[in-house]
Amino acid sequence: MGVDIQTLMEGFKTAMQPMNLLWVLVGGFLGTVVGMLPGLGPATAVAVLIPITFGMDPTSALILMAAIYYGAMYGGSRSSILLNTPGDGSAIAATFDGYPMSQQGRAGQALAMSAIASLIGGVIAVIGFIFLAKPLAEFALQFGPAEYFLLMVFTLSAIVSLSKGNMVKGFISMSVGLLLSTVGVDLQSGVYRFTMGIPQLSEGIDFLVIIIGIYAVGEVLYNLVSIDKPKGDKKSVGKKWITKDQWKVSKWPILRSGPLGFLIGVLPGAGGSIASMLSYTTERQLSKRQDQFGKGAVEGVAAPESANNAASVGALIPLLTMGIPGSGTTAVMLGAIIMLGVQPGPLLFQHNGDMVWSLVGSMFIGNIFLVLINILLLGLLVKILDTPAKILYPVIFVLSFIGTYTLNYSIIDFYILLLFGVVGLAMKIYKFPIAPLILAVIVGSDMEQNFRKSLVSSDGSLGIFFESTVSVVLLILTILSISYPFITEMIQKRRKTQDTAGNHHEL
Amino acid sequence: MKKLLIFLSILTLMALTACGSQSSSGDGGESYPSKDLEFVAPASPGGGWDATARAMKKVLNDEKIVEENMNVVNKPGGSGEVGWKYLKKQDPHTLSVNSSLVLTNNLLGKSQLTYKDFTPLAILTTEWEAVAIPKDSSIKNAEALMKQLKKDPKSLKIAVAPGLGNDDHLSFVQAAKTYGVDVTKLDFLVYESGGDVVSALLGGHVDVATMSVSEAKQQYKADKVDILAVSSEERLDGLEDIPTWKEQGVDMVFPHWRGVMGPPDMTEEEIAYWDEKLKKMTETDAWKKILKNNEWQSFYKDSSETKKFLKEQEEMYSDLVKKSGLAE
Repeated sequence: MGVDIQTLMEGFKTAMQPMNLLWVLVGGFLGTVVGMLPGLGPATAVAVLIPITFGMDPTSALILMAAIYYGAMYGGSRSSILLNTPGDGSAIAATFDGYPMSQQGRAGQALAMSAIASLIGGVIAVIGFIFLAKPLAEFALQFGPAEYFLLMVFTLSAIVSLSKGNMVKGFISMSVGLLLSTVGVDLQSGVYRFTMGIPQLSEGIDFLVIIIGIYAVGEVLYNLVSIDKPKGDKKSVGKKWITKDQWKVSKWPILRSGPLGFLIGVLPGAGGSIASMLSYTTERQLSKRQDQFGKGAVEGVAAPESANNAASVGALIPLLTMGIPGSGTTAVMLGAIIMLGVQPGPLLFQHNGDMVWSLVGSMFIGNIFLVLINILLLGLLVKILDTPAKILYPVIFVLSFIGTYTLNYSIIDFYILLLFGVVGLAMKIYKFPIAPLILAVIVGSDMEQNFRKSLVSSDGSLGIFFESTVSVVLLILTILSISYPFITEMIQKRRKTQDTAGNHHEL
Repeated sequence: MKKLLIFLSILTLMALTACGSQSSSGDGGESYPSKDLEFVAPASPGGGWDATARAMKKVLNDEKIVEENMNVVNKPGGSGEVGWKYLKKQDPHTLSVNSSLVLTNNLLGKSQLTYKDFTPLAILTTEWEAVAIPKDSSIKNAEALMKQLKKDPKSLKIAVAPGLGNDDHLSFVQAAKTYGVDVTKLDFLVYESGGDVVSALLGGHVDVATMSVSEAKQQYKADKVDILAVSSEERLDGLEDIPTWKEQGVDMVFPHWRGVMGPPDMTEEEIAYWDEKLKKMTETDAWKKILKNNEWQSFYKDSSETKKFLKEQEEMYSDLVKKSGLAE
């Protein structure tokens, strides 16, 4: 799998051509903007740009589309941090600590940290791409239906374990999510389930509509209901740069989450949502100050941001090495480059190696551009917090509807959006954790289909879930993640009885 | 500052959504077309329908075959149902891409609509279906595959995407049925996309996969998978060493075609308009280049041939769906 330095340098050279630099800049900026707006994701943006790419050189087209893709990863977390309204599955984990930080008047730092973490995660992934693209693509192939099923079970168990002390509500939330994910055509039998004769529901409820509904519309409604309550002091933005201490606690989480996100990104279909959630839960469990997570721990922003950006680079590996798109966005990219006469497939590296390496070079440059863009935008973005509620929330409300419409061009989705807005409101009032529900919707139907495919291929034997090393590792991780909260609790209790003096650390 | 930000966001949004909007001017009624045209791709961007609609728009407009502006609108859902329901209510300035799903959705009991609810205008392209196996498979040719399935239909796991009743699935059923396999007992694993089927095959998670030739070809060229048979009449360009089903004693030809149709009750003149324009389109170099890039083959049939063809196809699919055990 020769990474010879010369071709790599050639690639960088092509990426440095003024036109290509311009495409990276345009793509990155556009990606950041669509990432910020609820519902408008990279897949939509790339699809809309397809006609523009028709006349372009395939390399430039690929550079532009990839820049939109990872640009959206940068942008996606902006609204998560500032407004608690993630625009995509991969930006949900950024709300956990990003929004509390913002409420505590540390929005500037949260945004800066997320940009830095994204950069480092992205760079780690680009380096990983250069050296590991082929072996990783081979590794990803080992994931059969059984392994995918177990990976999703692991992710869900990790999310539920987040709602420690509130497990019952966590499980209820997850179960509702799983129920929702059964709506639509059942692939294995072709039977329509719970579609109530509405053809728009035949492919299931789009999880993005649920995300926008519960988070964005829910947030708007919540603010409407609590409008009479005193808001307290005007939130300040705080410092716009991170402190040394913050860097210290975030350094390792970022460096660990980058490779983790990259690996998960390589698996076709897993993607940024799973990557960012798993990196968050992992870091929380490894952390010495677990109790700070969810209350504005800066490393809780850093870890998932590093992971989801790395995952977006990883997702390009199956596309470029095997011609297999690993996510919605890469599927659209595939269609676009085929139109330009490039056949992505196992031979792409041999036939169009220069194109692949130019892309790698452009991703390197693009990530640096994006940090600059995001840091420059920081001052502007935090102004959102100064916007009076009576202007801000109606705008979010309108954007939610526009974003929803661009997903499937369907009016039915508006009703679903409003319905989940009310659900989101209720969940906020009764303090149900939202993430388990959303994640269950995202992975639920894949999880079920993979479970059933596993059983068809093993002729009904459950043994298939213990057959491969990957499965066994995933099973152990799942058990650990469920039992971990209880184990730590036990240890803490023991420690407490040991030093009766108590400790002075923050509670 | 914040106003500027909001303004900028809204501007971007408008720019992004503008491509989806449709502008219409007054209906003159004198000559067709009298306003902008609309192409419905009844699926999300990225798939074959979307690619066909966008390619048509590009060639018809770029080559100045049609002067009126054309917009592609995506109406995904229900394997075409959403887009076609929409088409049924439009005037003749809206057309839609179709495929065999316009027949099978109805035969499978998923839809009330059939091809008779619309005005067939043309069949444009076809792809052919391939049966692929992993490189290290013990099965060496299509006959061995069928022999084994005849003996034990459940002995091989077959990957298909994205749903039962589509051409990838039914072409395999047709081949197996022709050979005398009990097709109701076959074990299909249904994957979400063609890409997932390829990964499953490369990873050795399934024994056989049925998919369009274009999806299998690149993997075959890279020596990652073997192709046992193609569903075309004759061997295909670029895959001259792959025998057809016919050569291997399974008498069937199975095209995976895509065509164009309009809303119900289009007039003679309107149909004639599209016969002329679409024929012209299929003769351009730009169109031929797009076909080549996408591994599609020209399969052009004008409106009257299309009508006849659809009738034959419906009989064929009706029989197939019944025998496959998909519909009671």
